[in-house]
Formats: sequence, C-alpha cells, structure tokens
Amino acid sequence: MKKFLSTGLMRGLAFQILGTLAGAGFVTLIRFLMGLKIWGWDKTTYGFTEPAWVFGGLVGVLSFLYGTRVLDDWLKWAAGKETHERHEDPPGWVKFFGPSLDHKVIGIQYTVTSLILLSVGGLFALIFRTELAASGLQFLDPDLYNTLMSLHGIVMIVSILLGIAGVMNYLVPMMIGAADMTFPRLNAFSFWIAVPAAVLLLSSLALGGFDTGWTGYPPLSARAPLGMQMFFLGVFVAGWSSILGALNLLATVLRLRARGMTAFRMPIFVWAAVATSIISLTATQLIGLSFQLVMFQRLFGMGFFDPAKGGNPIIFQHLFWFYSHPAVYVFVLPGLGIISELLPVFARKPLFGYKWVAMSSLGIALVGFLVWAHHMFTSGMNEYLRVPFMYSTLLVAVPTGVKFFSWVATLWGGKIETPTPMMFVLAGLVVFLLGGLSGPPNATVSTDLHLHDTYFIVGHFHDTMFGGYVFPFFAALYYWFPKATGKKLNEKLGHWHFWLMTSGMLVLTLWMMRVGLLGMRRRIADYDPALGFDLSHLVMTVAAFAIALSVLIFFVNVYTSLRKGQAATGNVWNSRSPEWQVPSPMPAHNYEKEFRVVGEPYDYGLPGSAYVKFED
Amino acid sequence: MEHNKSYALSLGLSIFILLAALTGVEYLVAVTVASVFLLVVIALAKAGLVLYYYMHIYRLNRSDLEADRHSYAYKTGSNRFGLWLFLLSDSFVFGGLLVTRFGLLGNTRPDLNQTLGLAVTAVLLISSFFMNRAETSMEHGDRKGFLIGTAATILLGVGFLAGVVGLEWPLAIHEGLTPDSGPAGAVFFMLTGMHAFHVFTGVIFLVIVFRNGLRGLYSAEKHWAVEAAAVYWHFVDVVWIFFYPALYLIGTHL
Repeated sequence: MKKFLSTGLMRGLAFQILGTLAGAGFVTLIRFLMGLKIWGWDKTTYGFTEPAWVFGGLVGVLSFLYGTRVLDDWLKWAAGKETHERHEDPPGWVKFFGPSLDHKVIGIQYTVTSLILLSVGGLFALIFRTELAASGLQFLDPDLYNTLMSLHGIVMIVSILLGIAGVMNYLVPMMIGAADMTFPRLNAFSFWIAVPAAVLLLSSLALGGFDTGWTGYPPLSARAPLGMQMFFLGVFVAGWSSILGALNLLATVLRLRARGMTAFRMPIFVWAAVATSIISLTATQLIGLSFQLVMFQRLFGMGFFDPAKGGNPIIFQHLFWFYSHPAVYVFVLPGLGIISELLPVFARKPLFGYKWVAMSSLGIALVGFLVWAHHMFTSGMNEYLRVPFMYSTLLVAVPTGVKFFSWVATLWGGKIETPTPMMFVLAGLVVFLLGGLSGPPNATVSTDLHLHDTYFIVGHFHDTMFGGYVFPFFAALYYWFPKATGKKLNEKLGHWHFWLMTSGMLVLTLWMMRVGLLGMRRRIADYDPALGFDLSHLVMTVAAFAIALSVLIFFVNVYTSLRKGQAATGNVWNSRSPEWQVPSPMPAHNYEKEFRVVGEPYDYGLPGSAYVKFED
Repeated sequence: MEHNKSYALSLGLSIFILLAALTGVEYLVAVTVASVFLLVVIALAKAGLVLYYYMHIYRLNRSDLEADRHSYAYKTGSNRFGLWLFLLSDSFVFGGLLVTRFGLLGNTRPDLNQTLGLAVTAVLLISSFFMNRAETSMEHGDRKGFLIGTAATILLGVGFLAGVVGLEWPLAIHEGLTPDSGPAGAVFFMLTGMHAFHVFTGVIFLVIVFRNGLRGLYSAEKHWAVEAAAVYWHFVDVVWIFFYPALYLIGTHL
C-alpha cells in the first residue's frame, strides 16, 4: 500500500489537487485585491469563481506533470545537466504506475487507462439508456441527463484516443524493428498529460455539469454551467496528448525503421498509424483553438461567437468540425489497419492489393480534411457550401471501398481460421459495412435535412465506431495479449464476449436507425409515448446491457488468464510479423539482434518466402 | 550548403536587408494601392526567405538513414524532424486564428497605431537577424559571437513584448478597443496574445540556451539546443509576417 501511494500516479494526483487549489487561490487573491467577487454559489461559481477554477485547473495539470516526475529529465537538460540515456524500470507492477520510458509499458498504460475510461463512459450510457427505456422521466432530471450524455460522448472519445495511442505505441516500434520511440520522454509525457485531462473532464460532473453535448456549440456553451469550462480545459489538455503522441509516432516511423524496410514494405498497420497521426498532429489544434475561444469568451467577454456583439457562432462550428470530423478517421484508421493486418494471418493468404490499401489510408486521411461542413447542413451556414461538401464527403467512400474490396478479396479462397481475434475482425468488417452504408444518406443534403437530428445518425455513428474501433481494438487485445504477457486469453470466455457484444451491438444500432427513420429525435431525455417507441427503447436498453456484460466478461477473462492462462510464448498465430519471431513476452528494448527486411510482409502461403531476417 | 563563416554571416545580413526592404514595400503597398493580392504575395515571399535561409528547412532533406543511429548527428536529424512536426502542428493554431480573423472581420480591420505596428515588426525582424548571427557563430565555434547575438535577440524579444503588451494593448484599450468590445477587439487581443505567448516561450528558451552557452555546453559539432531555439524563434517571426498584414494592413479600418 505504501509502495502504491508513492507511485508517480498518486504523487501526481496529490500535486494536481494542491496545484488546483493554489492556482484558484492565486486568482482569488488577485480578484480580492481588485475588489471583484471572490466567493459564491451559483451555476458558474462553485465556491471559487469561474476564472479561479479555470486557472486552478490549468495549474493543477502542470502540477500533476511535475508531481509524477515526468518532466525531471527535461528540467535537468534545461539546467545543463546530463541524464542517463536509458532508464531501467523497476520490476513488477510498480512500473505501470509511474513514468516509464519503455514504449511497451507506456502502450499498456494507455490501453488500461483507455479501458477504464471505456467502462466509465459506458456506465454513463447505461444510466441514461435506462432512463430512456420507458417514456416519461423516471430517475434523471433533464440537466443530469444532458450532462451524462455529453460526458458519455467525450469520455468515449478520449478513451478511443488513448486506446489507439496504446495499440500504436505498443506495436509500431516492434513492427519496424526499433528499440523504442524516437522521443521516449515525450512519449511518457504524452501519456501522463492525458491522466489529469481525464480528471478534469470527470470533475465537470461535480461542478454543475454541462448540457451542450460533446460538441460544445456556442451560444449555449457560452452560458452553460461551470462544468463546461472543465470540459473545454480537459479536451484541450487531452488534445496535447494526442498531438505529441502523433508527432512522436511520425518521427519514429520516419527515422527508426529497420534496414530494408522501404515505404511499401512496412506493415500495413504502420501505414494506418501514419495516416492517423497526420490528422492528429495537425487538425487537433483546431478543436483546442475553438474551445479556447469559447473559454475566453466566457472569461473575458471576448465576443467571437456572441451575435449580440457582432460575433458569429458558425465560425466556431467550422473550426470545431475541421478537427472533429477528421477525428472519426483518427478513431477508425488504426482499427481498419488492424483488420488489414490480421486478415492475411487468419486467411493464410497475401493481403490483396497491399499498395492500394496503404494508399487508401492516406487517401481517407487527406479527403477527411475536406469534408467537415457536412455536419453543418442544417446549421445555417452559407448554402453554396452544401453541395461541394456533399460531394467531397461521398468521395470518402472510394478509399474506404478499396479497403473493403481488399478484405473480401483477401478472404476469397483462403484457409480461414476463426480464433477469437479473427471473429472480432470479421464482426468489425460487417459492422463497419453497416456503418459505411448508412453514411451516404447523411452525407446527401436532401436526406440529411430529415435525418440530421434523429437516432438514425446515432445508429450510424455507433456502427462506424464499433466496426472501425471497438471490434478491431478487442481483436488486437486478443491477438497481442500473448505478446505482452506470455499468456493466452481464454477462448471460451472470448466467444461469450464476442457473441454478446456482436448481437447486442447489431440490435442496438439497427433499432436506433429504425426509430430514427420513424422520427425519434436524438439528445433528448424524454419522448412522447404516443410515438409508440417505448418497446423499441426497451429493446435497445436490453441490448446495451448485453454489450456492458460482454465487456465485463472480457475483464474477467483478462484477470483469470493473467493468473492461470495457457502459456503462449511462441508464434501462437503463425504470423510473419517480426515481433512474433522472438519469444514472448518481449524484453525491454525489444530485439537483441537487429533484423533486415528481405521480402514482402504478407506473402502468407508462399513457400520459402520470408519477411525479415535477423542479423547474426 | 555549408559555407565559411564570413560568407554565412554576410548571407544572413543580405537576407535581413531583403526582408526589411520587403517590409517597407509591404507598408507602401498597403497605404497606396491596398492590394490584398500583393500583400499576400509579399508575405509569402518573406516567409519563404526566412524558412529557407534562416530556418534551413532544406536540412530535413539530408539523407542519413544508413548512418550510425546512436550518433549525435543522427539524433540531431531526428530531433529536427520532431521540431518541424511541432511547428507544422503549431501553424494550424495560427492558421485557425487567421480563419477566425477573416471569418469575423472580413475586409475590415481594427483601427490601430500604424507607427507602433511598424516599430514592433521592425524590432522582431532585427531580432531574427541577430538570432541567425548567433546560430551561425555557434556553427563555426565562435562562442563569443553566439553569446552576443543571443543576448541581443533576448533584449529585442523583450522589447517586442513590451511594445505589444506594454504599449499597444493599453493604447488600444484607451481608444475603446477592449477585448469585450466586439469581434474586432476579441480578434486583436487573441491574435496578438497568442503570438506574444509564443514570443515569451521563445525568450525563455533563449535564456536557457544563453545560460548553458555561457557555461560552455555547446560546440561547433554539438549545439542542437541552439539550432532548435533559433528555428523556433524564426518560426515565431514567420507567424508575425502573416499577422502583421492581417491585423494592420489588410482591409479598411473600422
């Protein structure tokens, strides 16, 4: 226990609390000296005033980072001192609770944090889903409903960002034959800054919540309760985690690839990670900026989006969606990369059209920058923008279609095996197809005007997120779990997890689309019983609980398999990828001998071919 | 592209003269023909000169993938990629601010003190000249030249901050252009504020480099921190190359 309390995490949290109080106290002192209001209790003043809380929140984040000691080496450099080139982690579980520089430890830290947030976000969804099970308000009031719905959105988004960061962090250096990321300290920093960000986001629940949805549109967000500011600040800080992680990943792929690994001999997942990182690196700044502008509007009365002062709320939506649409490609591209990575392994066939699949990831990323305003067809932007954005959006279907063509052609005539990871891959493929096919009706202006604020969008969105992220993410966890632990996850529990999640998912989203088409509006706490949706909502609620139960089964599986799972230290999936050519679990600093790439990555089934050769 | 020291220093001076001349032309264009197209072209030309001659963007193109990956040179190459990726990311913030400025104000601009605007622009440009001189000196092992150049850059950077935050802001507020007066005030304070914040961090970075330089931590071969501080400083200058016309020159004032 004492050991746990002195870990970087606990030190950081203690520092964050003290830092927040110190920052808020500082602003309060200044306000006192200026004769302004310093104390009160209303929807923007929870004890401390709003400026005090915001500044305190920011100081709290910096204090957290200082407290975890993740900044220590940089501070030493600034003071002109030398540091050790390589840090060794302490043995055992302690290393996961403090700043480690090992990309595999950081990858696991990311993944576990992501799973924790996935559970929290899922719990929020279950609460308001239960409220919706019958018409009328049962146990939530509209404000709390709105807060939970908004937090479900943003907590899940942060969870996904951390999840992809975890998988990319863990896999990319191993796949390209590097000992670590290019900037290990920055890597640790990127993870640890996400923790106080999550704390900030969740703290909004205690500070009045916010009722805008995760999009935070002004003018509503300019007058929402104090929780809004914690949300803005939390997203801003989490954004830095995403930006710096992407920077590190790009630098790693550019600089640390094994000899002979030319661009078109990289594993396909690395291509997906690169495409994702290009978006995260650049576009994320725009959501940070848009939220900053609303924060300043609230704090200093700057009238960016205040029509009464001559501002324009539509500008916010442009800045916001310039990130937040490409963001969905940030979420799904790594998942689609995992699908492309695993299909050849389990179909025992080469990946069909490798180069096209590689380029399609970049294609989706680049076209993704040009489609943002399709979220704004109904929000009163200039009408001449509608049709160009409709066409650019429909264009996304082309590179996505390339991927589907490749997947189907890879499966065609293969000797398909279906252990749990492959089942998740196949389900991801099907569910993403449903999400993809329900996309064009939303991209087409004429139909979107009808569908925009209905559950159809909610169903479409959850299909793309589950197909593009959740299923491939779990596939990756089942697939690489032996690499990280030397143990295999239980297949039987894996099957339970799979069937519950897939059936629950399909029922939930297809019903969402159905009631949406029939006129069920989204983002509302209650609905008219005369619409006749009570039974549908009950079905959806049961399906949501099935999904929750399946995730619970996964956690049980992880726990029992870690304790007494089947040992798996060899190449359990018979993969050609370099990380499987050495025993599991992978040691610190990865490969003892460097390898050279001597062939194509996915020539499964070609006798005598090899992808990598280890140097003697 | 490696030259002897006196050539490199005079190249830096020539580029500075060119940039100063272009700034003068820019101002004249604004007060005479007021062509937005010409102003954008001039800004792009200035930015191009800084990117190439002061920030040495071509160094990214050095092919060293077969080099020893544990060497200082290879790590510097990786660091350089990291820094430029960061600048790419950061430029999206400033791009977003420009979008906000033109989206809200269109072809109008706040009424600002033109003399002061030109003065702070000149101060920042001169600081870039000294920054280049400092970095070039270090590249050739001239520690004294490096320290003098860095000190001058720090002083001019502080001078720029004093000009913007210490003079321009109170002056604007005095004339009724407050942050809460409307979009013009909001845009003016947000753009100058965000830029000033970057100048401020650049000054801190330079102070650290100056202090470590004083203690003899850098040599002609090993001075990545100096290069990074210089490239960052020039980047902040490039941002101002676009912000200056966007705030002071383009459009009719309100």
